[in-house]
Amino acid sequence: MKQILAIAKLTLKAAFRFKIVALLSLFLVVSVTALPLLIKDDGTARGFIQILLTYSMGLTVTTLGLATLWLSCGILARDIEDCRIQLMVVKPVARWKIWMGKWLGILILNAMLLGGVGMVIYGLLEYRGGRLNEDQKFVLENEVFVARGSAKEAAIDLTETVEEIFQDRMRQSSLQDVDHAQLKKQIFEMLKHQFQLVPQGMMREWDIPLGVNPAKLRDKPLYLRTKFIAMSHNSTFDDTRTFPMFWEVGPMDSPQSWRVVMPMTPNVFHEIEVPPNLLDENGHLQVRFINNQNETFYFDVNEGMEVLYREGGFLANYLKGLLILFCWLALLAAIGLSASSFLSFPVASFFAVSVLILGLSTGTMSQVIEEGGITGVDHETGKVEERGVIDHISVFFFKELKKLTEVVLDFSPVELLSEGRTVTWWMVCKAIVQIVILVGGVFVALGVYCFSKRELALPSGGQG
Amino acid sequence: MSLARAVNPNENETSTAAETVVMVQGLSKVFKDFWGRPKAHAVNNVSFQVRRGEVFGLLGPNGSGKSTTVKLLLGLLNPTRGHIEVFGRSTRHVATKRRIGYLPEESYLYRYMDSAETLDFFGSLFNLSSDERQQRIEQLLEMVGLDKVRRRTVGEFSKGMQRRIGLAQALINDPDLVILDEPTSGLDPIGCREVKDLIVELARRGKTVILSSHLLADVEDVCDRVVIYYGGKIQAMGSLKELLSTPDRLRITMPVLERETLEKVLAMIRADLGRKLPETAAQESVVVDSPSQNLESYFLDIVKKARSSAEETSGAVSGGTVARYLRSEDSERVQAKDRILERLASSKESAPETPVPEKKGEAPAALSEDASQKLSALLPKTPLQASTEQAASGETSPASLQSEERRENLKKAGEKLSDLLGNKGNK
Repeated sequence: MKQILAIAKLTLKAAFRFKIVALLSLFLVVSVTALPLLIKDDGTARGFIQILLTYSMGLTVTTLGLATLWLSCGILARDIEDCRIQLMVVKPVARWKIWMGKWLGILILNAMLLGGVGMVIYGLLEYRGGRLNEDQKFVLENEVFVARGSAKEAAIDLTETVEEIFQDRMRQSSLQDVDHAQLKKQIFEMLKHQFQLVPQGMMREWDIPLGVNPAKLRDKPLYLRTKFIAMSHNSTFDDTRTFPMFWEVGPMDSPQSWRVVMPMTPNVFHEIEVPPNLLDENGHLQVRFINNQNETFYFDVNEGMEVLYREGGFLANYLKGLLILFCWLALLAAIGLSASSFLSFPVASFFAVSVLILGLSTGTMSQVIEEGGITGVDHETGKVEERGVIDHISVFFFKELKKLTEVVLDFSPVELLSEGRTVTWWMVCKAIVQIVILVGGVFVALGVYCFSKRELALPSGGQG
Repeated sequence: MSLARAVNPNENETSTAAETVVMVQGLSKVFKDFWGRPKAHAVNNVSFQVRRGEVFGLLGPNGSGKSTTVKLLLGLLNPTRGHIEVFGRSTRHVATKRRIGYLPEESYLYRYMDSAETLDFFGSLFNLSSDERQQRIEQLLEMVGLDKVRRRTVGEFSKGMQRRIGLAQALINDPDLVILDEPTSGLDPIGCREVKDLIVELARRGKTVILSSHLLADVEDVCDRVVIYYGGKIQAMGSLKELLSTPDRLRITMPVLERETLEKVLAMIRADLGRKLPETAAQESVVVDSPSQNLESYFLDIVKKARSSAEETSGAVSGGTVARYLRSEDSERVQAKDRILERLASSKESAPETPVPEKKGEAPAALSEDASQKLSALLPKTPLQASTEQAASGETSPASLQSEERRENLKKAGEKLSDLLGNKGNK
């Protein structure tokens, strides 16, 4: 461990003495401080703070990500090209330790920079928030500067209903030639759609288990986060009007139930503050929407209704968010080092940036998978009609790559922080396991293997 | 740091029985291009062994395969064919590297670190404790003459200073095998001498030294055995004694004899040779001369004088003693004896500064003018001497003419060197 730490310290010294740290810190602090002057928000203090948080952290991650790739490619490749690595590998230190020492050095550097800039952002947010009036402060403290847990309705189980309808259809007509699985899927989608619709004069009730001891939420307000689509008579979406939506929260027929009519526009998320102490004895919250409009409303099962409740403070949540960002930087460092383990500095940089771009092209990947290939897409059907070998290979490649990418990008700490949601320890652990240990581990193994096998004194600078 | 090397009459026997430190068998290295096509045969079917305590030289012109062999020994390159063992293990065996010190041909050090940091970093790779590292750093920096510039970054160093700190890092672990690739490259004559003395001292301590160089003087001064490379192949291998000696000639060096004694000795020799050779050949085959001092010794002497009057230099100063942890017990005894002698000598103000041959390869001291005259009178005159004698006045002998001329030349050289060293006032 002493050897790994010595090499990590060396890496840090290089970064400091070549003024990389000073330049990066200066750039980030100036950018983050100047950003509020440039951004446009929705006019509310809450919106401003949310955008500030999102942009600042996005800028920090992007800058540090690119710097990490460049640094990790250079720190090993340059040592190999300038032959400095020769003096290290002739010492009694295993090559994997050299590799890990370099990685650790970059991780410590990233932790310092991310931590430093993170604290600057936090200070700016506190400063900005502190200058608001009391009402705005109250909103911020309950909706942004907070760690809120969330609960949704349990997933609907339509299996029995689907089976009943399927059997009924089978009895009514001869459907022997039809794909039964496909038919069941169609029935399920139809039922689900009907389930999500609230026609005129109808009511939709959500029974949401919060999964926490109701005593913990005593005297604490809850927040309903909802989004709907208004379906006009001609069955097209209409999101330009505002509707007075009637809500009832609390146990059915209870005098304690809370009722409110809120003017709402479709297709955007709304947060409704609900008075405290409306949970039933099981810790469930019942929410009802009564459609007294001349419209049909559509509430998606995933996004239609969610209850948010206070779980903890913002600082701890913020630090957990930074930890997830750090996991991404650790992965980028592993990619860069891995590339420089078998490539020269310019080629390694190109390779690493290509991997990054490919990893972020999830949209393109999905499109290729959906279209069934990359050659000759039919404009009418949107599919590749005659699939060749290249199409099969590309679809297979993108499917696997998308799976891998999803493992890495299955986290959105910045979004969670800006919405005042809890970044759970489970998410942090999952990020460490998925991003650093699983995917990062693949790159670490590849890098260590290549570096261990590489001849480090070839006349061309050691490129194998 | 001047050290005389003890001569061991049983050296060959003991070294033969000694432990094999490096074993190279049928070693070949072919550099290939991107497509795997052979580009250069850097080393071709090379075999040799290096035994414990030996100073082994890899000698050859540039591009002959010396450095490639060194890199193969260190596991920096993989052999195309053949087998290498260092201390009976593969070159990739990590623990074995604990016993190896390596000075590469160029300074491959981190330019942003200072001397002390550099040594501390490499010391920590050997898992040396902090206290141990500090002690060794102090001793090594003093040894290589960089203790006054320890806080200057390596990037600011001259090439010679970089060689010195490179040498120090190679010795931080007190290695059993020291591999030095062109160790005197870029060093001034003082540095060269110190490095060569250090190599001798390391060998005296039972360390094995592999020295790769194209500088013949370096190799000749310190190596026990050498291989001579050309075109990636070994052209010759053996001890310097075997390779360089001319068995049909004999050279005797001794203090100046009285004229009569010398005449008697020469008469005996000529009489003996006269029985085997024609008279003229017998006369010509005996040469008596006064060995001249070589330039290195002379330069070192001049610098020593200059240093005694000069106060400061911005570069490396002459190294101090060999780091304590690198010194042998014999050496400690020799040094203690040297110190006593120094004290005794310093009490005599008018002690003559006659250079004393310190080790093999170094020429004996110049004869006095009187001795030269005696010798000249004994020997048959060469045509050049005869013509010089005719041209000169009857009061001046050819020997004294030569001696004065030589003294004048040496004086001029001394002045030039003093100028170079910035000690004009010391002319």
